[in-house]
Amino acid sequence: MMNVVVIGGGWAGCAAAIQAKKCGADVLLIERTDMLLGLGNVGGIMRNNGRYTAAEELIALGADDLFNIIDRCTRHKSIEFPGHKHADLYDVTIIEAHVRRYILDMGIRVLFETRVVDVDVEDKKIKAVFLDSGTRIDGDVFIETTGSTGPMGNCIRYGKGCSMCILRCPAYGPRISISQRAGVEDILGMRDDGVFGAMSGSCKLDKDSLSKEIRDELNTKGVYITDVPQEDINPEKLKMKVCQQYALKEFAEKIILLDTGHAKLMTSYYPLEKLRKLKGFENVRFIDPYAGGKANSIRYLSMAPRNDTMKVIGLDNLYVGGEKSGLFVGHTEAIVTGTLAGYNAVRSLMGLNGIELPVSLCTGDIIKYENETKRKKDGLKKRYTFAGSEYFERMKKLNLYTTDKEIINKKVEALMIKDIFKQKLI
Amino acid sequence: MYKFVECIDAGSEYCPCHLAEKGECIICSQLQNKVFCDCLYWKGTCIYEELLKNGNKAKKTRQYKKCDIIAIEKIRDDLLIYDIRVSNSLLRELDNIGAYVFLKSPNFPDYFGTPISIMDINYEQQSIKLLIKIHGIKTKDIKDCNEKIMVKGPYWNGIQGQRFLRNLKDKSVLILGRGVAAAPGVLVTRRLTLNNNKIIALLDKGRSDKNICTDYYTKYGAEVNNLSIINYKDKTLTDDFKKYIKDILEKENIDVVLAAGDDEFNSLIINYIHVRRTDICFASVNNSIMCCGEGICGSCIVKLSGKEIRSCKQQYNPLEYYYVEDGK
Ligand SMILES: Cc1cc2nc3c(=O)[nH]c(=O)nc-3n(C[C@H](O)[C@H](O)[C@H](O)COP(=O)(O)OP(=O)(O)OC[C@H]3O[C@@H](n4cnc5c(N)ncnc54)[C@H](O)[C@@H]3O)c2cc1C
Ligand code: FES
Repeated sequence: MMNVVVIGGGWAGCAAAIQAKKCGADVLLIERTDMLLGLGNVGGIMRNNGRYTAAEELIALGADDLFNIIDRCTRHKSIEFPGHKHADLYDVTIIEAHVRRYILDMGIRVLFETRVVDVDVEDKKIKAVFLDSGTRIDGDVFIETTGSTGPMGNCIRYGKGCSMCILRCPAYGPRISISQRAGVEDILGMRDDGVFGAMSGSCKLDKDSLSKEIRDELNTKGVYITDVPQEDINPEKLKMKVCQQYALKEFAEKIILLDTGHAKLMTSYYPLEKLRKLKGFENVRFIDPYAGGKANSIRYLSMAPRNDTMKVIGLDNLYVGGEKSGLFVGHTEAIVTGTLAGYNAVRSLMGLNGIELPVSLCTGDIIKYENETKRKKDGLKKRYTFAGSEYFERMKKLNLYTTDKEIINKKVEALMIKDIFKQKLI
Repeated sequence: MYKFVECIDAGSEYCPCHLAEKGECIICSQLQNKVFCDCLYWKGTCIYEELLKNGNKAKKTRQYKKCDIIAIEKIRDDLLIYDIRVSNSLLRELDNIGAYVFLKSPNFPDYFGTPISIMDINYEQQSIKLLIKIHGIKTKDIKDCNEKIMVKGPYWNGIQGQRFLRNLKDKSVLILGRGVAAAPGVLVTRRLTLNNNKIIALLDKGRSDKNICTDYYTKYGAEVNNLSIINYKDKTLTDDFKKYIKDILEKENIDVVLAAGDDEFNSLIINYIHVRRTDICFASVNNSIMCCGEGICGSCIVKLSGKEIRSCKQQYNPLEYYYVEDGK
């Protein structure tokens, strides 16, 4: 029996597990909390700017499973907000249950509320992982998609303390870097000011606590924008932010709300007293993080060095995806890297070499570009996303950006890799 | 390899302790002068945060309190059972697997303190019961106490391998005890029978003429057998014991074995059972010499795979500690 163990059930881990299963492997997914999707439970923005191209590329490559579910859970299609075009917003209040059912129906085994704490390594090969109960779980190949958020101690040292985010460290125990446990040193992201880590860039307000006027506008249009009072504008906050695609001037001067089921507020944190001074916000309260008036989670403190097939450098049978695999921001980015990790993990089981995605696709280019740029001066201060900042500029310059599905399909067909992710390998 | 890391005080009101304050925390990597989280053992609180919130200072350590001696039962000249009245809160905290206190007479300095396991708890009388063997200077000092005695606690690391006993439900546990070391097994029985676990105790009376603990085990619903387990002359297990183990492993579905004897005894029985049934987990009484109980003096240090373990606070896996290659 060929057996793939995926550690961490965020978007990247779900994508990796689904892909490995589709390739024919026996898959076990281990998640420390009681929910899949990790940060995906508090995100929701898809297909904005270059993410549209990336999503369609992946669909053409045959990895359409998660995008189909996301499309079914979408509340608003093709909306606009400052700096962002044709964004879809999925409903964070229902998406997890949909993905979870899909994964379980595929026959992927999932262990919830189970934290991996250590590994057994021999000759650069991981033999097994250990759960915090001491139980040993053997595997042939492992995929680490534990993200890079927190845990509490890091949020304290590099941020403003635990803000009680969706990862719920106190309840389920802290994230652990599995690759580091296996002897491969983590790479750390930095902020503009050279401090390690970066702070998550948005929080969620309880939509029901907003005025009827704002609620109605969110429900119909998906977006609500108002001015930040002059005395509260704080451009410094942008520098701490993970999401450089949302670190535009407008995001410091405007309050931007998006309807993802909750009202997504596009700023890291906002003191509650100040927020309540705004018209229509008199009763407002935070839903994620619970202490969103004080702080947000710290990320990018735990990336493993990898090659462009998503294999960890220094270990023979560990693959990575999502934030664990680089300075990638976003669900789409996690699904892209996770899918490739799942695919190549199974190839390695079969004794086959891993594949790289072609750089004539943005999905292949970002993986390579992040790896190269990260090593350069200031590369660790950048974030890589199809949705904006430097990488979206690059997409446009290299003509990788398009919203024409026909063009994308033709390109993938010409590369002879149409539906490769639908292939059974075993 | 899997690292068995566990500090019995982590997450309690005595955490963070002086070790954390000085960058020697058993658990927290942030408090071992590494600047990133690598938290192998989580008990629900972030020790790093607790330390910062406490102004970078350790929490107050346990202090000696003068307590009344309610009764002293003399079993032998060198074997006594003490009933000591303690505060209600201390009593509740001591009603846990592995609980012990430090005792000393009011007349002498702190380094006279010696660790003694709780054998039984009495809520009506608001007292703890301890079985004390008079050995040397410290226990002789206790023997001189008739009305008042100094008690410091609660401590909980009197049993190693607690993770195998914690949260146990509807399971079967075999306790193998000898002499005074069988006393902490009474409290284990009390806690485990509450969760519908079956307790079978096999007791060796040691050098006494009867098994002092038998009645206490029975009181809490253990099935008790008395048998000579070990020949001390040639350090071997008796034939009676071997036969008993063969039968019981066939008859019962034993999940955990608690070894409650001295180190020689624990080592012999753990290895004997382990080679026959590798799926059984082991707990054992903690026989280390202790002086401070706070992880500071170092008198309780044991070495395991090249690492020093402060066994007054830190847990280890008894199988790893007592394991010998050929299993004998
Ligand atoms: C508030 C917020 C809003 C966001 N909004 C958007 C958005 O609108 N659009 C967008 O594209 N991106 C958004 N992002 C970014 C995006 O969510 C992430 O980049 C992406 O989801 C990362 O996925 P991942 O799978 O790599 O990591 P994670 O989602 O962090 O998943 C890691 C998983 O691993 C588990 N895990 C960790 N350690 C262990 C262990 N030792 N044992 C077992 N399991 C473990 C965790 O519990 C978690 O479920 C947002 C992020 C935040 C914080
Ligand atoms: S008894 Fe002092 S360090 Fe353990």
